[in-house]
Amino acid sequence: MTALPRPEAMAPAGSAAHALELRGLSKRYGSFTAVDAVSLRVERGQFLTLLGPSGSGKTTILMAIAGFVAPSAGAVLLDGADITALPPERRDFGMVFQGYALFPHMTVAENVAFPLRVRRLGQAAREAKVRAALDLVQLSAFAERRPSQLSGGQQQRVALARALVFEPDLLLLDEPLSALDKKLRAELQEELKALHRRIGRTFVNVTHDQEEALSLSDQVAILNHGKLVQMGAPEALYERPRTRFVADFLGKSNFLRGTVREVRPDMMALQAGGTRLLQAVQGAHPAPGTPALLSLRPEKIALLAGEEAADNAVAGRIEAWAYLGAGYALTVATDDLGPLRVALPAWRAPIAPREGLPVRLGWSAEAAVPVLEDADGA
Amino acid sequence: MTGGYRAGPLARGIAWATVIYLVLPITIVVPVSMTDRRYLSLPYETLSLRHYANLLGSEAWLGAIWQSLWIAIASTAIAVVAGTLCAIGCWRLARRSTEWVRALMLLPLIIPSIVYAVGLYRWFGTLDLLDRFLGVTLAHGVTGIPYVVITVSTALAAFDPRLEQAARGMGASLGQTLRWVILPRIAPGIASGAIFAFIHSWDELVLVLFIASRNVFTLPRKIWDGINENLDPTMAAVAVLLIVFTVLLLLLDGALRARRDP
Amino acid sequence: MAREAALALPAARRAWALPRDAGWYALLLPAFLLMTLLYVAPILQVLAISVTEPAPGIGNYERLFTNPGVQRVIGTTLRICVTTTAVALLLGYALSYVIALASPRAQRWWLLGVLVPLWISVLVRAFAWVTLLRRQGLVNQGLDALGLIEEPLRLVWNEFGIVVGMVHYMVPYAVLPMLAAMKEIDPRLLAAARGMGASRLTVFRRVFLPLSLPGLIAAGVLVFIFSLGFYITPAILGGGKTLMAAEWIKLQILDLVRWGLGAMLATVLVVAILVTLAVFSRVVDLRRLFGGGR
Repeated sequence: MTALPRPEAMAPAGSAAHALELRGLSKRYGSFTAVDAVSLRVERGQFLTLLGPSGSGKTTILMAIAGFVAPSAGAVLLDGADITALPPERRDFGMVFQGYALFPHMTVAENVAFPLRVRRLGQAAREAKVRAALDLVQLSAFAERRPSQLSGGQQQRVALARALVFEPDLLLLDEPLSALDKKLRAELQEELKALHRRIGRTFVNVTHDQEEALSLSDQVAILNHGKLVQMGAPEALYERPRTRFVADFLGKSNFLRGTVREVRPDMMALQAGGTRLLQAVQGAHPAPGTPALLSLRPEKIALLAGEEAADNAVAGRIEAWAYLGAGYALTVATDDLGPLRVALPAWRAPIAPREGLPVRLGWSAEAAVPVLEDADGA
Repeated sequence: MTGGYRAGPLARGIAWATVIYLVLPITIVVPVSMTDRRYLSLPYETLSLRHYANLLGSEAWLGAIWQSLWIAIASTAIAVVAGTLCAIGCWRLARRSTEWVRALMLLPLIIPSIVYAVGLYRWFGTLDLLDRFLGVTLAHGVTGIPYVVITVSTALAAFDPRLEQAARGMGASLGQTLRWVILPRIAPGIASGAIFAFIHSWDELVLVLFIASRNVFTLPRKIWDGINENLDPTMAAVAVLLIVFTVLLLLLDGALRARRDP
Repeated sequence: MAREAALALPAARRAWALPRDAGWYALLLPAFLLMTLLYVAPILQVLAISVTEPAPGIGNYERLFTNPGVQRVIGTTLRICVTTTAVALLLGYALSYVIALASPRAQRWWLLGVLVPLWISVLVRAFAWVTLLRRQGLVNQGLDALGLIEEPLRLVWNEFGIVVGMVHYMVPYAVLPMLAAMKEIDPRLLAAARGMGASRLTVFRRVFLPLSLPGLIAAGVLVFIFSLGFYITPAILGGGKTLMAAEWIKLQILDLVRWGLGAMLATVLVVAILVTLAVFSRVVDLRRLFGGGR
């Protein structure tokens, strides 16, 4: 097999850069731009999730990586080699389709053997590999069943075995868990994560479920309206969202508006109506007099008892509340900051919430994060 | 549609009369074929099978049946291969241009066969295909394509396009995808198309009247001459055999459909 | 990290790259070539002959306005086609209406009664009608035996015979599109209208008929264009006395060897059919028609 080098063989010898890279990838359908100049890079062995609401272009990006969608501009590179023009059947990527796309006229074993049959592997080697792949997903007992005789979770695992059986470098997953009910989804999330650890291959996953993205991934790329908004490790994205959209889409957030009054090396003061807010700053410092937007997670707000002090403190009244088992969700009306959502762990709630109850809220200067308004108002 | 609302007596009356009008004349040939007379009539005294014996002992009739059978088989093969591939290509590409291709494939259903027959008479004259097995087979094959395109397109409409993507994504070439994934899934549709293309060729007369004369003498041509020259009960026996044959083919199609969508 | 290459694909396949969809376009090729070379080309030749033989020009088409023979054939054809279409629609509509409102079990039996005749050889059916309708045929014999007639009725080898045979052929084609349209109608609408006090006739006129109208038009177009070029049934049941367009064309070309004239009328037929289809293209979806009915 020396007719043409495999794409990755074109990378500089000994390079550690075994990676998938998108460079300025765009896809337009007529006047509609589905993907807008997305550039990103996944290192080998990482688990990347493309996360976004429906219509954000995440599936189009995955399809472009798989080769089913021809980009209007930009390139897909594998280990530095441009594979944009390579048809899907020559990319050697494993893929789990939305709804699994199992062949209904073949048994589980035949489905899993399909990529091997395509590669003209001998009977014995084929059987061994199929058995190993089915063992990997704990479905050896179901080898002779038809897909229609399996539950949703089992079908999902067959799809996974079929995508992995030929040992691809890259596994693409298109909403792999979306068809399953909540409990099963959590189980399979854990399995998927363990599988990724065990086989050490690169996974690219697409989902609209933020919990799934946070719990599975090494890296999450957040997309909106075809644009890459922010990419990073889950903790970093959650703790330091760059824009209002990211803060809002990943978890819940309160947004505080104010005007910058005073700036010191690691701290700034904002004025929001009659309330003065103290906020830690890193990186770029805004100029005094400019408007600022802060994202404040509900779980970072505490109820202050009596005259207890905090970096930031504001008085309000409980407008609505709900008991959620693990804690309370309060909506507190404040004069200067509008309604604030507060998540309170039940075991250390100092009060029994009731509507109209006056409370004082407090949070530290590090609790909130300055975020940018989204450019296109999303 | 069902919902307890039933048609009124007038509509039911016309409907019954229409079905009788559709079916009765066809069934009337059964008793006529078993008449004990030498001319077309209902049986007078006993039922007789001598017209069937006549038919099955006649070189001319059997020869016509064989020729029709071979032409129908060969032309069905042409229609099935060309029509199936074309329907799959149009389905997968799904462009405006392929819509036009599909419309082109339906032309033989729309344009009267007399027009095609006239054109073909001249065209085959220059190609030296008149009165030859190959000529009739090609003509029947081409005009059989629409039946296959329609049934296969219908089968493909129910085919999940992600299966094709999945196969390609796992490295299957176009040929492998066709062989292992697409064709097995749409086989019942192809079989339906084959049955209709077969019936089409088996019954076709107008083209044969123009492009065949002595060497190629199909069953419909023989029946045509029979109707125009000597109306005898052997014709009724042929008609009965043809009806039985068609009904069997339709039953086969029904069985295939039942398997396809249970 | 240990690198294990994916099982490689056969090398030959990696070596050449065609444009993305070339393979799929190749699938269209056999049918496209067959259809253009062996179907469209001969038909275009007919169109060409009509303006080149016996002399180049539109001489053949002038006959449309000057030759009483041509005009008579066109008149006969139109008259028979309109009659056939009207009768087939009337019978087919009643039949579809009853089928659409029947229980699923009954529907299957009704459909059998429609579909089996559809696929029985047109020759066999014409033969059956000859057996029934000719001078010494079963109908005349029966009527005679009952003493209802003095001498045999002339039921065939005239326009009456042609219409009887053609309607018989066309009713199934009328039923399929109408039935498809009627099955879309929600039966609860009808029950609701009755419940609001409308009579059966009013429900039909105000609710069912308007909703089934697209199917009716589609069926009308289909039956009409099929009738225009119909050859076998008119030729057998007309007995050579009543000439319709198709048989006249055959006569010009095979018996009189007047290619130009025959090709001219053939062209007129094709144009008439294509124009009818284009005008009604919104309501008539041929693919759905054939795909759904059989």
